[in-house]
Amino acid sequence: MSLTLQSVGRRYGDTWILQNLDLEVGSGECLALLGPSGCGKSTALRLIAGLDTPDEGSIRINGEVMNGVPPDRRRVAMVFQSYALFPHLCIRENLNLGLRIRGVSPDDQRRRVASILEVMQLGSLAERRPSELSGGQRQRVALARALLRDPLVYLLDEPMSNLDAQLREELRPELKRLVLQGPQPVVYVTHDQQEAMALADRIAVLRNGRIEQIGTPRELYERPATLFVAQFIGRPQMNLLHRETGLIVGIRPEHLRLDREGLPCRLIGREWLGAGQQLLLECSAGTLRMLCDGTVEPGDDLRVSWNSSDEHRFLDGSGTRMA
Amino acid sequence: MNRRQLWISLLLLWSLAPMLWQLISSFTTTAALVDGGVPFLQRWTLIHYRQLLSSDPPFWRFLLNSTVLASASTVLTIALAIPAAYGLVRLPQRWLRVSRALIAGAALFPYVLLFLALLELARSLNLGNSLLALAIPYSALSLPLALLLLTAAFEGLPKDLDDAAKLEGMSLVQRLRWVLIPLIAPATASTAILVFLFAWNEYPIALTWLSRSEQLTLPVAMARIAGSSVYSVPYGAYAAATVLGALPLLLLVLLFQRQIVSGLTNGAVKG
Repeated sequence: MSLTLQSVGRRYGDTWILQNLDLEVGSGECLALLGPSGCGKSTALRLIAGLDTPDEGSIRINGEVMNGVPPDRRRVAMVFQSYALFPHLCIRENLNLGLRIRGVSPDDQRRRVASILEVMQLGSLAERRPSELSGGQRQRVALARALLRDPLVYLLDEPMSNLDAQLREELRPELKRLVLQGPQPVVYVTHDQQEAMALADRIAVLRNGRIEQIGTPRELYERPATLFVAQFIGRPQMNLLHRETGLIVGIRPEHLRLDREGLPCRLIGREWLGAGQQLLLECSAGTLRMLCDGTVEPGDDLRVSWNSSDEHRFLDGSGTRMA
Repeated sequence: MNRRQLWISLLLLWSLAPMLWQLISSFTTTAALVDGGVPFLQRWTLIHYRQLLSSDPPFWRFLLNSTVLASASTVLTIALAIPAAYGLVRLPQRWLRVSRALIAGAALFPYVLLFLALLELARSLNLGNSLLALAIPYSALSLPLALLLLTAAFEGLPKDLDDAAKLEGMSLVQRLRWVLIPLIAPATASTAILVFLFAWNEYPIALTWLSRSEQLTLPVAMARIAGSSVYSVPYGAYAAATVLGALPLLLLVLLFQRQIVSGLTNGAVKG
């Protein structure tokens, strides 16, 4: 199973929301579309689902061109940010409606709904309306509905952005187990780089409707192609130093270390995180974020340095990576 | 009684007193209606109702005519307005705004100005003296208001719900049947009541289209009762007709009351 987008573009009036989007998501692969709001990532998802039509380019599912195929014929499952559960139906009917519409036999309908209710631990909530469920429970119902769709492609549109941080971390393994392990390609839209890194096999970073860089989480982290990607991936953010004209040097906070021979700094802030801590330092080249062990007690005379092999060099202006 | 209750009581009195007056009049003898000196126990009678129901054609015939006509108009209007409203909402914003302005114009147009033209149409199309044919102009005249109310209802639905239904494999008709129409049921119910009321109360078109007495609708029949004599006004009979004419509407509102409860879309999206 595969999903291919070839130079897909979408514009409203004269502004291009998406341009030259080339994506290839293979069998069982999870691709995250990552970017700030308004970068076109949700538009890309709607184009794949058929809820919106591209102005140029082609979309293929399993090699078959999907342009012009209406969304109800595409066999695509989508989990919406808002969950989009039908408010007038109870959970069981919410899950069953699609099966009945698609002509599954009544026996099969009952069996499949019962088994998915059990898998998602929703059995005791089956007769409730969506309004009577918590956010996490609604999310599980939305996932269950997507699973019952038996799709060729899964599309997830910020599925966890309405949940609190703890619930998100609890749901991640569940999501991985249920959706990401199947043979279907998965496109996962998020603005949360941590979520993208945790779930996706590859990440495409979008900016202003164009792909800034596409690669595995590791590639993006270790060799960001542009300044934008460098700052978007990895928390705390990469430090940027203007040491020479025309050149920006980036260095990740975890690559800084205390060194008597290093750059002299002044401590201006400190966040203690338990196992580690984040120090905010001021030096002649600007402010630096530094991650170090939680046990370190920063003294008065702080000096830091880093290996030049950990440096990322970008051209000032265009922001592209140098070698 | 605090201030609020006082205001509510005054408002209730303001709107209910005329109806109460009619109700009392309908049970009062003709003599007592014009003479306050009749002793209390001798004022009451059922004669007005008896007369109404034994006239030819009996009064229930007009009630039936109006019910059939108003129901037909309502069904026709809603059946046309729901798909039309859905289509309007899916138009590009600019077109929607223009169409809405035009529809609002049509809704505000004083329809009485049309009745002569409509009568011409009825003549040339041979629709005169046919009760159900009246449902055609009635729906046409009710459609603008129904469209305005139902487009507002469709706009109020989260677009994600329609999209989710599409991805579940539902065609347009299936989406309307299983998702969209159930969700706008409260708006549909209130729209239906307004359309029904219009058809129930409509006078000039019914007066000109219908002349055979067994075809008459309630307003026309009532006007005939009121104007049946040059020398007296039959207050009692008229009041009884008013009471009987109001009963089906009361029943209708009681039946639909539950449907009009809103808040059905709560929890569709993050709440």
